[in-house]
Amino acid sequence: MATLASRAPWMARVVQSRDIVPLIMLAFTTLLVIAPLLMILFATLTPDGMAAWQAITNSPLSRNLWWRPLGNTMILGAGTAIGCLLLGGFLAWLVVLTDVPARRFLAIMSILPFMIPSFAAALAWSTLFRNDRLGGQAGYFASNGIPIPDWLAWGIVPTLIVLIAHYYSLAYTMIAASLSSVSGDLVESAEMAGAKRGRILFGIVLPIVTPALISGGMLTFAGAVSNFAAPALLGAPVRMQTLSTRIYGMVQTGNIERGYVLALLLMLMAAALLYFSDRFVSGRRAFVTVTGKGARTKRFALGRWRWPLFIFATLIGVITTIIPVIVLFASSMAPRPGVLFSNWTLHFWIGPAGTSIAEGQAGIFRNPHLIDAVFTTIRLGLTVAGCAMLVGLLIAYTIVRYKASPYTRILSQLSFVPLFIPSIAMAAAYIAMYGTSLGPLPALYGTFALIVMAATANLMPYAVQSARGVLGQISADIEESARMTGAGAVRRMAQIVFPLAMRGIMAGGILVFIKIVRDLSLVVLLFSASTPLLSMIAFNYASLGFMQFANAITLVILVICLIASGLVHILQNKVQGWKSK
Amino acid sequence: MRRSLMGALMGAMLFAAAPAAAQDLDSMTPEELYEIAKTEGNVTIFSLSSRIAQIKVSFEEKYPGIQVEGVHLNSTRQIARLQAEQRAGIYAIDVMYMSETPIVYRDLVPEGLVEAYVPDRVKADVPEALRENLLTHRLSTRALMYNEATHPDGTPITNLWQLTTPDWSGRVLIDDPTQRGETLDLLTEIALRGDEMAEAYEAQFGEAISVDSDLQGAGEQFIRDLFNNDVVMINDTQTLRSAIGIISDGPKPVGFMTYSASRNNERDGMALQISNDTVPGAGILFPAVLALGKNAPNPAAARLMVDFLMGDDTPSGGAGFEPFFVQGDYAARRTIEDHPDAIAFDDLNLWLINPEQTGQARQRILDLVITLQ
Repeated sequence: MATLASRAPWMARVVQSRDIVPLIMLAFTTLLVIAPLLMILFATLTPDGMAAWQAITNSPLSRNLWWRPLGNTMILGAGTAIGCLLLGGFLAWLVVLTDVPARRFLAIMSILPFMIPSFAAALAWSTLFRNDRLGGQAGYFASNGIPIPDWLAWGIVPTLIVLIAHYYSLAYTMIAASLSSVSGDLVESAEMAGAKRGRILFGIVLPIVTPALISGGMLTFAGAVSNFAAPALLGAPVRMQTLSTRIYGMVQTGNIERGYVLALLLMLMAAALLYFSDRFVSGRRAFVTVTGKGARTKRFALGRWRWPLFIFATLIGVITTIIPVIVLFASSMAPRPGVLFSNWTLHFWIGPAGTSIAEGQAGIFRNPHLIDAVFTTIRLGLTVAGCAMLVGLLIAYTIVRYKASPYTRILSQLSFVPLFIPSIAMAAAYIAMYGTSLGPLPALYGTFALIVMAATANLMPYAVQSARGVLGQISADIEESARMTGAGAVRRMAQIVFPLAMRGIMAGGILVFIKIVRDLSLVVLLFSASTPLLSMIAFNYASLGFMQFANAITLVILVICLIASGLVHILQNKVQGWKSK
Repeated sequence: MRRSLMGALMGAMLFAAAPAAAQDLDSMTPEELYEIAKTEGNVTIFSLSSRIAQIKVSFEEKYPGIQVEGVHLNSTRQIARLQAEQRAGIYAIDVMYMSETPIVYRDLVPEGLVEAYVPDRVKADVPEALRENLLTHRLSTRALMYNEATHPDGTPITNLWQLTTPDWSGRVLIDDPTQRGETLDLLTEIALRGDEMAEAYEAQFGEAISVDSDLQGAGEQFIRDLFNNDVVMINDTQTLRSAIGIISDGPKPVGFMTYSASRNNERDGMALQISNDTVPGAGILFPAVLALGKNAPNPAAARLMVDFLMGDDTPSGGAGFEPFFVQGDYAARRTIEDHPDAIAFDDLNLWLINPEQTGQARQRILDLVITLQ
């Protein structure tokens, strides 16, 4: 170090300073996130791009292209975040901290909605609530004589409800992971000191999980803001546009620069929001609850509220999961689209080829690509989830441990941005950047590695946010003890941080897994192997006009997600066995 | 990866010797192309239709030794991917089968990112307008459709301007033109047909049209009047179809969609029919084209694939065309018969778009629609 200091003093300062880790992570994030961002930015600095800035910010179009969609987007984002925190927080509290009956069942019910694509929830809504705005068939309620006003059938209200129903599991996952680290000691001490339940909840539990609340709020906000299916399906008939439908539309009609400008503006808004929430979190005292002294969770006795609360929670689950699944299932069995509940047939699942049904197409279980696709999909899901978990853990660790570094805040914001980058831009940037060999990096065009990289970057926010919520609670003492006994950084990471944060990381991993096996838009642009993914098979069927097959595939994907999260659940309990009784 | 590297290398080599080689390939018969294609070994095609899976099977059967890599991507994604790849110096795509031609002619053709190829043997069968630049494979439609069961005596809309009257307020369905290129092309075509729209206006209302001062022509006025008459936008194709086409009591809306939607009438319990008697036109015909990627890695196999997709001389077009032979779409090769259940090509009352013109006018119409939302 001495020689280095004499040769390049600035370098020595950097290496010795506390900024080194944040800087390394920042460099890493630059490769994954800033590069595509810059590409987007440069695309908007061309003459066409400047015209797009002009059209969006300062022209007669601004109102309908930017301001009104922005308003709708913000209402949906904020509304969804609040709704999800309330719903997800309530369920997490119930499952983790109380003696409510059938907690395992409720836990699984609470993570299920996220596995069901949001289009299914939107479809379910319009099956029930559609009114005569479209003519033709009315929905279930309207045809049973219950008039449904436009505001309940279409537009911002149903979109908001569907988004909350879809995203509350995100908030649940994060809050539950954080709550499970609220040690029974704390609660018991409070009880001994004579604190009432409400006091314990608001005085102890809530402050501890604040970081998880913020993370959950940000993620559900971002999810709602970037969701396309729900506003596109439920908003169009009353001409409601959001920024996501606008971005999609601009890309689709060949105005890619406008799409990029809208995306950049949206990212700015989100970054500002994140900045303030970061300040809010870091302005508070941090509550360290994972101290290495294993203490199991202490459960509140609900008393006579046990069953009513159980029924209420089950009801939430039924409405948000079972109904969309039934609609999906029915639409995979109904020969006539739109007439969901009659003449059911299993043809779309197991029927042979060459019949008069479905233009001779065989059922999905006879599709020769199905098994291959299942395995390719799972492989992709696991690889991306693994990579994202690792990247997420490292970044979250840096953010939490190096709070003082000015680079940390930038890192925190950067790690959040990918959710807002339109997938078409992300894919294009990755092809353009990593398609040819780049110094020591080989050309990655058409490889599995490129897809994994892009997907990891794209879903990084999920992993970072969920790891962050949990890491913030781990005491630095433990690590320092390890450091004093001579454990290196890697060893500390592997043997202390990783196991302690396991629950949160796994929670993030499963979210990433679900997201990637369901998602089409990014992968489809980078994939060229002849074995398709499940989501691509579903897309093939849908584009042939056979929603039944597509919905059947969606259900297969759902089953895969369900199994995966079941496994994770078991694993979580194994890893942190000291938590359960 | 090795394959794509090899492809890039071969592409580069061919590029060096391009002028002579490409011309030679262009004038070769399928048999001659096949001989060279065998040494190339494979061909990559991006297709807007998932029926490319069937083509893979039939092509590999007819031309053993050439493996088909068929990638199903919508036109927008094909264009985005081609641009990104070529920016990185990757030339991996042999054939593109896509629509969205106004964008193709605006962004890809002038920059030379794609190349035209018209097999000699089909030249005589394809009308000149459909092979001037890129070769058209088939024509699809976006047309006014109504419910034949509700209106057994024919279409309730004999003049497009009726759609702007109070009778049809809130009863005209369309997918969002700011999200669907084809629908935007339809409105653009109506705008470009200002004179015909003015004439139709007079026929409908008995007086000459007065166009708002900020608009150009009767077509743009029609678009504004249509939106102000509470046109209903739907982004879900299935819902759009069933809202108009389902057989049940009560009045039904009308709306714009692909004519080929009517092919599933029986299966879906619907009665969709094209409103072909509407003046001045019931909608548009737009092309799906076949193009070669610039520096295609397998130039002979690429041409062989285009040749194959154009079909054989039988009325159905044989294995190469048959998967795309659906009621309501029309083969560019006029030796291939129109579907027996559909209106004959020559009787269609639809406007054939000119992609280059549409591409130029599209932006203005898009902006108009945005202000009307």
